[in-house]
Amino acid sequence: MALPDRTVHNIRPPLLQPVTDKISAGTLKRWAVWVLIAAGILFSAFSGPVWADDRDIRIADGKGDWGYPTPFRHYPRGPGYIRMSWVFDTLVWKDQKGYVPGLATDWAYDPQHLAFTFHLDPAALWHDCTPVTAHDVVFTLAYFQQHPYQWISIDAVDRAKALDDHTVIIYLSKPYAPFLSDIGGTMPVIPKHVWEKITEPESCIDSACMVGSGPYVFKDFDKTQGTYLFEAFEHYYQGRPKKQRLIYVRTSKALMSLVTGQADLANIQPDMAGSLEKKGLTVIENERGWNKKLMINHTKPPFNDRNFRQALAYAIDPQEIIDKSHRGFGTPASYGLLSIDHEMYNPDTPDYPYNPEKARQIITDLGWTPGPDGVFHKDGQPLALELIASNLTVAGESVTDRDGEIIARQLTDIGINVTLVNQEQTTTDSRVKNRDFDLAVSGHGGISGDPKVLNEMTSSVYGGGSVNSARYDACPELNALMDAQMMEMDPEKRKRLVFDIQAVYARELPAISLYYPVTLAAYNPDKGIEWFYTRGGISKGVPIPQNKLALIR
Amino acid sequence: MQASDRHTWLTPVLAYLAAALILAFLSHSLPRMLPGDFVTAMYGASDVTLTAEQAADLRALYQDDSGFTAFLGRVFCLDWGYSYAFQAPVAALFFDALPWTLVLMGTAHVLSSILGFVLGVEAAWRRGTRTEKAGVGLMTVLEGIPELCSGVLLLLVFALNLGWFPAAGAQTAYADHTFVQQVADRLHHLALPLTTLVLAYFPGNFLLARAGMVIVMKSPFVLTARAKGLPPLRVRYAHAARNALLPLVTRFGLRFAFMITGALVVETLFSYPGLGTLLFNAIAMRDLPLIQGIVLAASIMVLGINLALEFVYILLDPRVAHAS
Repeated sequence: MALPDRTVHNIRPPLLQPVTDKISAGTLKRWAVWVLIAAGILFSAFSGPVWADDRDIRIADGKGDWGYPTPFRHYPRGPGYIRMSWVFDTLVWKDQKGYVPGLATDWAYDPQHLAFTFHLDPAALWHDCTPVTAHDVVFTLAYFQQHPYQWISIDAVDRAKALDDHTVIIYLSKPYAPFLSDIGGTMPVIPKHVWEKITEPESCIDSACMVGSGPYVFKDFDKTQGTYLFEAFEHYYQGRPKKQRLIYVRTSKALMSLVTGQADLANIQPDMAGSLEKKGLTVIENERGWNKKLMINHTKPPFNDRNFRQALAYAIDPQEIIDKSHRGFGTPASYGLLSIDHEMYNPDTPDYPYNPEKARQIITDLGWTPGPDGVFHKDGQPLALELIASNLTVAGESVTDRDGEIIARQLTDIGINVTLVNQEQTTTDSRVKNRDFDLAVSGHGGISGDPKVLNEMTSSVYGGGSVNSARYDACPELNALMDAQMMEMDPEKRKRLVFDIQAVYARELPAISLYYPVTLAAYNPDKGIEWFYTRGGISKGVPIPQNKLALIR
Repeated sequence: MQASDRHTWLTPVLAYLAAALILAFLSHSLPRMLPGDFVTAMYGASDVTLTAEQAADLRALYQDDSGFTAFLGRVFCLDWGYSYAFQAPVAALFFDALPWTLVLMGTAHVLSSILGFVLGVEAAWRRGTRTEKAGVGLMTVLEGIPELCSGVLLLLVFALNLGWFPAAGAQTAYADHTFVQQVADRLHHLALPLTTLVLAYFPGNFLLARAGMVIVMKSPFVLTARAKGLPPLRVRYAHAARNALLPLVTRFGLRFAFMITGALVVETLFSYPGLGTLLFNAIAMRDLPLIQGIVLAASIMVLGINLALEFVYILLDPRVAHAS
């Protein structure tokens, strides 16, 4: 038998020994019961929402941090722009129907001089209570020429001139159809007396950079917590905002945060709508401004053949993807890229109704023959491709789906050997950008905004830096139409050009638009605010229901 | 100090230093092997359409890489670089998030260790009884439930249905609270993520403490202590349990060392603003300086705690000191 190790058991721990000598098992049990009771009382004391405050409105999203709300520090995504839009106003704005006055009460275009004239609201003040003048608009354009603002291009602006304190004329160097959307409705106007002293706007986060003319004054941003605090600007020229404090919070559980009162407004998944409505929340639906699409590497065979791309369109059934991957929440998309809700949507855009037989026929006509295993072959090689799928970020939220599996099966059914690869979004984007892929499931918004999106998502000249752009320059007819629509200032003539672009795009199929997912948000109506989605998206097309007018009118 | 003694502590310290250097190299090189870059991640799904020229300019700006040696030099000067995605110094981001993770993970580890240790010792003492068998069965089941599952269940019951606890965050943003109310509010937010973690760690601690205690209870010195007529509590804790504590200390240390990765799931689930959430966002955004900073700090933490454990063993069990 081993001897007991004296070095261990003869040591008498000073803390344990007196306690263990005196405490009996019964005492220990009684302590445990008291601790449990105390814990219960502590937690029950906190039950129920402690954050409800009628002066506040709380908006939630999954990421929280979208950068400081200045033109140069907000992240280049919709939620970042929206946070800045509470602080900085633009010349014009949009409500549910279209353009409405912002800092400018009215505006006019003079085609003879290629010039826009804006009359500013004389009541408009900066947050430091100095008046907003035409000189600020002139300064803003000059400043953005020196320090480009990532959201807009002001290449088309030749010069700007202040006629008096409240009248400004902006001369264009060439006709630029998206002027009102991009520059009038997206460019934040900045105060000359503050920004003329700021030489490095990208690193400025002090209070000076936050002086705007918007309905809310920036108070705080906590990067770690992902929270923002804005307070109502008492002297806002369109009237005092309805809520004293506007607060952004981070939550990955929108449904629960809405139900518990932690948030008054959040984007939701379509499946949540019913249960939220039962709990008294209002659910709103956006127009179809975001499309899931299939990127095609049209620079390599067989995808460089328009007929083959059309065969792919016939082989894919978007309705099945909607039904099986999204439980029916979606609508098949137009093959012309522009949303079917867009005022310039062409109803005669070529269509490719699901027809696997026709798809097989086209591939056979291209010289492929079905092998004994049902897979097409040509020159002894099987028709094989790789399909990349990933979770996409939509309006700042990552969304999981099974689209890749369904598309892969549909293509396999017609005789294509498909390898499905699921990758994280940045990896997929990177491969698409380097054209190191065959097919990739992707998606983007902006298709209900200015038709300039057609150019950006098609041509490498207009959207070469975007991973969502097909960068398809092989069709001279399409290129000429796209150039023409950017220069056409007459809305009716531009509409005809946009119709033609959609028709040619759907014929060429640089990429295949598949469907529009249902986009919903829910809000608490007891707060007295009626949130809404903006037609064509806020400013240049942000599909988020946080239009500042909801808190003003 | 004798040469042999110096040799005893110098060898492991040198080994740990070498490991730290290798880890620094890995934390610098591995993130660079990720496909995709910051410009693609930041602007890929953005509402901004870059021209090819703008994209190239941004890439040149963000991919300015001065190599491993320069990186190591900066690490020693506590300059961890600047986060592209969060537009802030990496060290500031790290130290802003660290306290939240420390509170969450630290409390979870301490609570689950104490609970697991005490209940494990008591279960071993009552070995063979119905209570003990039921306890072991229950803990084995709990041990198999992943944090994601228990966290979602807690959210469904206590946040969604009962509405007792908030579903996300670490505090109520910008609430007009007194100091006491603020503390209460933070505890309120901490309750669900903390319970999730305690449920995840406590069963393992219980089973480990019980197994250790069962072995120790067969030791002759326990029999001697009982024979001397010492109170049962004293025999249990001062004599037996102290010797069953060693594996639990190891587990505590290692679990604590893996704090950041351990926090990742629960922090993401409850939108808790700690290092797990920060690392998750950094990887999604391909923010190399931030990934490097967090990975390196986490690695150094693992090494540091391992080294500390070596000395803790000596304090807890003198036999370890004489093992060589």
